[in-house]
Amino acid sequence: MDNFKGPHPFNAGEKMKLEEKLYTLRYKRDEEPHLIIKNQETCKRCTEKYGVPEPCLAVCPANVYNYTEGKMVVAYENCVECGACRIACPFDNIIWKYPRYGLGIALRYG
Amino acid sequence: MRTVEFDAVVVGTGPAGSASALVAAKKGLKVLVIERGPEPGSKTVSGAMIRIDEVGKVFGTDIPIERQVKRFKVIIANGGDRVNLDFPVSGLGTVGRRKFDAWMSSKAEAAGAVVITKTSVTGIKRTEGGIKVLTDRGEISTGRVVLAEGANPILSMSLRIRDDLTPEDAVQTAKEVYSMPQTEVTKRMGLSADTDGEVWRVIYVNKTFGAGFLYTYKDAIAIGAGAPMKSMIEKKYQPNVMIEDFKEDLGLKQLLSGTSLREYSAKIIPESGFPYCKAGIDNVYLAGDAIGLVNPLTFDGIGPAIASGVIAGNAVAEGWDPRKYEEALKYDPLIKSVISSRKLVKQLLSTGEKYVTLLPEIMKRWASGDLYGIRELVSENAWTILKDLTLLMQVRK
Repeated sequence: MDNFKGPHPFNAGEKMKLEEKLYTLRYKRDEEPHLIIKNQETCKRCTEKYGVPEPCLAVCPANVYNYTEGKMVVAYENCVECGACRIACPFDNIIWKYPRYGLGIALRYG
Repeated sequence: MRTVEFDAVVVGTGPAGSASALVAAKKGLKVLVIERGPEPGSKTVSGAMIRIDEVGKVFGTDIPIERQVKRFKVIIANGGDRVNLDFPVSGLGTVGRRKFDAWMSSKAEAAGAVVITKTSVTGIKRTEGGIKVLTDRGEISTGRVVLAEGANPILSMSLRIRDDLTPEDAVQTAKEVYSMPQTEVTKRMGLSADTDGEVWRVIYVNKTFGAGFLYTYKDAIAIGAGAPMKSMIEKKYQPNVMIEDFKEDLGLKQLLSGTSLREYSAKIIPESGFPYCKAGIDNVYLAGDAIGLVNPLTFDGIGPAIASGVIAGNAVAEGWDPRKYEEALKYDPLIKSVISSRKLVKQLLSTGEKYVTLLPEIMKRWASGDLYGIRELVSENAWTILKDLTLLMQVRK
């Protein structure tokens, strides 16, 4: 049974970390971010109002958003392009564009 | 910038886009299909299962099916309390979207459509002579456009044809695909042939009310879970954690033990759209997920998407008034089924949890011979059940 273990064998005993899951994906990074925070002050207000994790963090499957030291950091290169964050943001504070030139995620199964 | 001319431009190579391109090209139009991914299917996510006849009658019968679904399992799970139903089915097949979408797109190409990939449409502008489609690689002049851009319809929104989704009318899902040899899939699922498949549909309660699935591919098992976005925000329940809980609750960790995770993905499922939003404006027609044509009650998005794509292809070829297009959509049986159950779906997003606890409890009381207990349970929930039944009566085909 071991002969088909790939680079990410699944161990029934543990929870799989998100980072390991994201390693299974093929990405090509667009130098221009396709996710942009309109106003950092708004993220600050949001954290105060909604607590942690904020709505965008709660729905993001890929840990793209990270609020640290008073700033929302956007790891757009991890994005799986589901579109949930823009919908979840209570302040309409996320600009969501399609990555250009076929860049971004490329699924094998889909 | 270069400008190229086409009779019609289709945005997206999913089921709706390829169906519309196929139909319009067959009617003699010069059609350009624009796909933002490196290949058709590189950006699309589904379970995925198809009704073979719905696909076959439009694209042909040489569908790249992963496995013929022979057994269907419905599981209603409230913690350890389960109701399991298990029955044989026919006419269903599983597909991997990468291969499946590429196949549909090749059918549109064979009919004469031109398909370009790695190109993102950035805007649509009206000009005196028609429409200009703006992309990251240049502009295209055309007369008509089909927007089959999927569940994240930012173009349709920028044209103000539809509003944005809200957390109240969207479901967020996560999916994982585990690969293993074909014989291993057959063995682990207890199937009788390497071409046979099994599908699970799960309605369950963990931190939120949710739905899950299992699909068997040729050489992989795909699982996924989804929950209303609003409750995920309220409960601060992340998709990645949700799918981990789902695997644990359903005993999937044992089933998948020793296999290898090959892909992790996510998708939002719109639970609203047409006819609560427009499906078109002059010479621009929306189809598929872009107007929420997925049936959350039957888990079928590909069927309604193809149906709407076929209608959009005809609309493009004949230059229909948008109102004529909308009437034609409403007349299609698959689409009618989606839109006539919108109110029921909205209601079930909040009452669904009740049924997940109710059904196993009724079965438990039945098992212990407590008929009066069942009567009590049902009468306690009579109002909810009655309201939902009234909405169920509105479902049409």
